[in-house]
Amino acid sequence: MTAPARSALKPLASPLSVAAVVLMAVPPVAAAGTPINERGPADPSGAVEVSNVAGTVRVSGWDRNEVEVTGELGEGTERLEFVAGDKVTRVKVILPGRSRNVDDTDLIVRVPAASRLAVNTVSADIEVSGVAGAQRLQSVSADIRTQAEAEDVECKSVSGDVTIHGTGKKALVTVTTVSGDATALKVAGEVNANTVSGNMTLGLGQTARSRVRSTSGDLTIASVLAQDGRFDVESISGDVRLELHGPVDAEFDVSSFNGEIRNCFGPKAVSTSEYAPGKELRFREGQGSGRVRLKTLNGDIDLCRK
Amino acid sequence: MTRPVDDRRIDAALGTLAREVEPPRDLWPGIAARLEASPGPSRRSWAWQAVAALVLVAVSSLVTATLVRRSPTPVAQQPVPASASAAMPVAFGPSFALNGEYAAARAQLAAELERRVATMPPSARQKLEANLAEMRRAADEINAALARQPGDPLLQELLLSTYQQELGVLASVNQLTGTSAAEEARQENVKL
Repeated sequence: MTAPARSALKPLASPLSVAAVVLMAVPPVAAAGTPINERGPADPSGAVEVSNVAGTVRVSGWDRNEVEVTGELGEGTERLEFVAGDKVTRVKVILPGRSRNVDDTDLIVRVPAASRLAVNTVSADIEVSGVAGAQRLQSVSADIRTQAEAEDVECKSVSGDVTIHGTGKKALVTVTTVSGDATALKVAGEVNANTVSGNMTLGLGQTARSRVRSTSGDLTIASVLAQDGRFDVESISGDVRLELHGPVDAEFDVSSFNGEIRNCFGPKAVSTSEYAPGKELRFREGQGSGRVRLKTLNGDIDLCRK
Repeated sequence: MTRPVDDRRIDAALGTLAREVEPPRDLWPGIAARLEASPGPSRRSWAWQAVAALVLVAVSSLVTATLVRRSPTPVAQQPVPASASAAMPVAFGPSFALNGEYAAARAQLAAELERRVATMPPSARQKLEANLAEMRRAADEINAALARQPGDPLLQELLLSTYQQELGVLASVNQLTGTSAAEEARQENVKL
């Protein structure tokens, strides 16, 4: 057996040096309200990644080729990591080890307007404005508010609410919540929205493809259906209300196992069986170039033209 | 009231007929054999297509969850408490069970969720568990309806998408809680 290294058998160092080592091992912790002031050059269409745990993240686009971060570090956080790379800028709130009490950190981030943006938080609200690049915004329990331009927007939350304001430009918008409500207004192009118990309110421009699904949340949708457009809406026990604006040219396939079906277009739903529940409604409006499918187990369905 | 004479004649004639008429031979074996040999699409083939689709979704969800997972701990060895991962019934109507690859992938996603769920903010955790239970109730209800009306296409479609949605929720929450902010909070045991 090899003898232990001599250094390991040395007597303990002086109390002063031990204290120094301990101090070095424990990272400094921010005091309440420690100001943040970071700035660095950025590619005008590069990526910006922001990560915070609790508090707020406010991101806005500007016409400079740089990223600026201001705000306040919450008490108990260690520091703000700010890395300005060629193509990617990273902003991250660092927590100290084994900390159990971390106060909110508020981040105000300015990015080149065409940046691609990714924000991840646990309970920090996310608010985005004036960012034209693709956005990927995720939070466990906080609310998300953003503006959609012509690039893809993906918002995901467990219990936070999601609000998206579009400009009518075509984009792919994806919203996923578990219990949070979702609102998307003036969004066009393609919409994928999925919730378990959140209520969804969608005011859509001309959409080519929309797929909306809930287990128990109510779905209220107003939309203009594009030529050859597709609408696919499903709910188990949530009610579904679809208002179609403008000219309508589509085949309709509507059915509910236990819910009522009300239709402003004229044709009435019929029972699918003499002895079992279930109603369906199939009809064509115009040439039938588009497809509208509405399906529920228990939820009522209202289909109307405005 | 006196019944017309024609009615009485008809009744008398009917009374002379045999109460039961036996078929000349047992027809059922022939019918059953032809049903078995039928090449057309059947409920069974539809259900297996649905199962195949779910397996695909499950495996892709699992791959996504695995990619965002940072812990080297093998998930399959984690104990799976009953709360968040309580199994959704993996029946598909009265005649089919979704097991094998689907069940394995789903169990792994649920185990991963169980590992992460403790670090979620309490209110979000409660809502998540309530919503997973909501999806299980929905699947139970549709399965019960399918038992009464086997082969109902609406019920089959809704059940399939309910299973898909559950997988989607499991994968999404795993991914959300595996992001850098959440992972940091988890590693540091931050109480939110």
